[in-house]
Amino acid sequence: MFMRIGLDVGGTHTDAVLVGKEGIVSSSKVVTEHDDLLNSVLSALREILGNVDPKRIEAITLSTTLTTNALLEEKADQVGVIVSSGPGIDPAYHRIGDAYFVVDGSIDHRGEERKPLDRRQLEEAVASCREQGIRAYAVATKFSTRNPSHELQMESIIDRDADVITAGNRLSGGLNLPRRINTAYFNSAVWRIFNEFAYAVAEGISELGLSAPINVLKADGGTMTFAASRNVPVQSILSGPAASIMGIAALCEIDRDAVVLDIGGTSTDIAVFAAGSPLIEREGISLHSRPTLVRSLKTESIAVGGDSILRISSGKVTVGPDRSGPCMAAGGNRPALLDALNIAGETAFGDVEASRRGISDLALKAGSSSGEIAGEAIDKAVQAITAAVRSMIDETNERPLYTVHELLHADKIVPSRLFIIGGPAVAFSRSLSQAFALETTVPKLHGVANAIGAALTRSTMDIELFADTEREVLLVPRLSVQKSIGRNYSLEDARLAAEQYLLASVEAADAADVQVVEASTFNMMHGSRMAGRNIRVRSQIKPGLLQSYLNSVRSSC
Amino acid sequence: MLKAKNRLGIVFFPAYDWAISPTHPEREERLLYTQDQLQEEGVFDIEGITEHKPDVAQPDDVSRVHFCIPNVLAVTTESHMISAGGAIKAARLVMEGAADKAFALVRPPGHHAMKVVHGSRGFCSINIEAVMIEHIREHYGQKRIAIVDTDCHHGDGTQDIYWHDPNTLFISIHQDGRTLYPGTGFIEDSGGPNARNKTINIPLPPETCDEGFIQVIDNVVLPILADFKPDLVVNSAGQDNHYSDPITNMKFTAQGYALLNHKLNPHIAVLEGGYSIQGALPYVNCGIALAMAGLDFSALREPDYDPVWLKQDKSVTERITQVSAKILEQYFGPAQSRQFEPGTFVTREKDIFYDTDMISEHQRELVMVCCDCAGLIVVKTSSTVNSPAVCIEVPLGACDRCRDEGIRLLEEARKDGDYRHIKFINRRDKIYLP
Repeated sequence: MFMRIGLDVGGTHTDAVLVGKEGIVSSSKVVTEHDDLLNSVLSALREILGNVDPKRIEAITLSTTLTTNALLEEKADQVGVIVSSGPGIDPAYHRIGDAYFVVDGSIDHRGEERKPLDRRQLEEAVASCREQGIRAYAVATKFSTRNPSHELQMESIIDRDADVITAGNRLSGGLNLPRRINTAYFNSAVWRIFNEFAYAVAEGISELGLSAPINVLKADGGTMTFAASRNVPVQSILSGPAASIMGIAALCEIDRDAVVLDIGGTSTDIAVFAAGSPLIEREGISLHSRPTLVRSLKTESIAVGGDSILRISSGKVTVGPDRSGPCMAAGGNRPALLDALNIAGETAFGDVEASRRGISDLALKAGSSSGEIAGEAIDKAVQAITAAVRSMIDETNERPLYTVHELLHADKIVPSRLFIIGGPAVAFSRSLSQAFALETTVPKLHGVANAIGAALTRSTMDIELFADTEREVLLVPRLSVQKSIGRNYSLEDARLAAEQYLLASVEAADAADVQVVEASTFNMMHGSRMAGRNIRVRSQIKPGLLQSYLNSVRSSC
Repeated sequence: MLKAKNRLGIVFFPAYDWAISPTHPEREERLLYTQDQLQEEGVFDIEGITEHKPDVAQPDDVSRVHFCIPNVLAVTTESHMISAGGAIKAARLVMEGAADKAFALVRPPGHHAMKVVHGSRGFCSINIEAVMIEHIREHYGQKRIAIVDTDCHHGDGTQDIYWHDPNTLFISIHQDGRTLYPGTGFIEDSGGPNARNKTINIPLPPETCDEGFIQVIDNVVLPILADFKPDLVVNSAGQDNHYSDPITNMKFTAQGYALLNHKLNPHIAVLEGGYSIQGALPYVNCGIALAMAGLDFSALREPDYDPVWLKQDKSVTERITQVSAKILEQYFGPAQSRQFEPGTFVTREKDIFYDTDMISEHQRELVMVCCDCAGLIVVKTSSTVNSPAVCIEVPLGACDRCRDEGIRLLEEARKDGDYRHIKFINRRDKIYLP
């Protein structure tokens, strides 16, 4: 009866898929028109909808690289960044953008104000932004997740000068001032462009007669509502890889440690699953080599893909890292990795004769045979991929742990399966399977795995709750909750409260989906007197897939 | 964006599930606010700074350093093995070139743990620096190593372990033993007969401020280090000289600790004591990390930093000047003629109290006077919890005489049967009977 739409607006293609409880109803792939994204979205949707009654669509999930591209192409807005940090690392080192201001004020790790915010300096900063015509602001203060009052004061003073103000404490409950500054900056920088797009998508979708709720995929494989995304567009940045990873988890039942490779023309994205769940970046992804607090699935990208150029350098074959159009089999004019796979008999893609010409030219240069050159190129590529996977797993197994129990009992990741998606997936599967010595699967629907992932990802949310029984205060920064508690407030009270806050903020979630990620309580001593407890709970609605749809798509794995 | 001048590896292990007892200062949240501060400052994101997981020390790592009575397992917990393993990890990062410098921010501490261990004293069971240093020597070759202990309490455990070792320079800067636990660490205590002047004690008067610490670093520590020419410098980075520390009487600041570390320029720093967990540790640890990474720490201050109150009294400065002069005279002045005959034993009698575990120990320690090596060591010990034990150590690089005599004494002790426990460390042949 009900169906869901997944839509992935990528840099090259816009993919859409319509999934019902009986399986994939239809899918489409259109070229992304960067100047008219709305049109790309509409044509992809028209193609999959066909004659389907729009009322049967229960949800639409959107994933996009729009925000990422805006940053790359420097189409983002100029942002007035106002920071207050108090003593510590000089905040001048965290400068981002061309309108960066530091004002006096200090809050400590307990959330106590140590020095009031300097209102005069703040007003001067705003005046300077006003002169430059700036209408987008980002404000961040040290330990604002423990006490947001300085950020709130900044917001109220900037208010009438701004179209958007991003306050750091609303983006994440996590500590890390430089990341908070960067995240707030990026959010305000892409706010206008995302909202123009969002407005157009909403218009277009209603034009097609669709009234289903729209969700936007986040980089951590969860979703947010369309309305929420308009305030925090930064969370949609880099949701592309998340769509692919959730897609493969939808197509194939992954219940243990596994490696997922998404091989494209230019690059290969690597993801690792531990006990069936994709790994998450500890603190957040980096954009333009600036670390942020945007939670994200952990992916590594290496410059090896089907179109990586092959060259001869002192008698040896080199692979990539660059690409110069498609491989020769697809009409290009330089031999690339896919041409080598053609010659080695791993695939028969496009114009095999053209591949033969390109590789034998290389063989001539190297004074060797085409077969040897092809074999050597494939070995190089496979080695690069296996080395990158190994270092990603080693790094994860080396991650710091903070309790004796975890350190002695934590499980190490030992992958037992390999999944490959992307254009050249089949061509690579035999060599990679051999190199990894793992059971290897290329799911049948791998071409639209990203859109399937978007369609079937369920709504998620995570919050951090802090309770300080000495100060008798409870904080949930993500939800701007600040309330007083009694001196006997316990860890169990905090767990329950976190669960209730989560369930109240996400539709259709039930208690079984709530996961306590971290829970700790520390007695605070003043001398030998117990002054109170410091309680911390981090809970989330687990990122995951809609179980009711999975049976239908799993047959394609 | 910040970029570290020195690649710094930080081994952070707060042991959030371990405490000596529920209200003891060496407790679960001791590094909680430090973690908050380091995270909020974004220290682990700075290019060139990396965070690492500790190793777990193996029983052999402990038995090549300590005589544990009755055995290693009985006097340690998993947490001690991880804390020592954290120090070992820090050393491995530096020795194997993964980092230029390393900071082991681990607990529980170790610098009050002596050669013989019957239990826990001064919150310490095993000496994590010594376990680390001997791990280095076992795996990366014999090295000249200097330890500079900047904890407010005298590093009596480390002093005891290296008292006879001419290849280890131990310098302890601490609040005068007449005014603070453990009540030792006087200028005259300067090493055993085979290791004269390889122990340097710098007792400072209460109320010493940044100025005084920097004065002894510049005038005493650096010249002695330059003379010793170590391959490796280790800082036992206790943080209880801080003006907010509840159990000491000094007036050192985070800025001062950072400057001290910058001047000392150690390869490895290991956290020791420091129990002002909210007012000091977050800022001092951040300062040490920035200084080790070669980063600007000039804006780092405690929120309640008061330059007027933290100015050093003139009488304190004068006292420090006298102490410095006396140490320099003792170290650089004319050498005392050798008082002991090579090949004979020199004896020390010691009464040791384990304040944390309430144990009293009596020991008689004999060292062979030797011109060719660190000298054979024999310790006869008994305590309120253990029957008499004899402990024999053949040092690293031992000469034939000291090695053969050690083996002979071991066999004799086995035949006699006078001792309930017989412990043997033979560093030359890597044989340990724990």
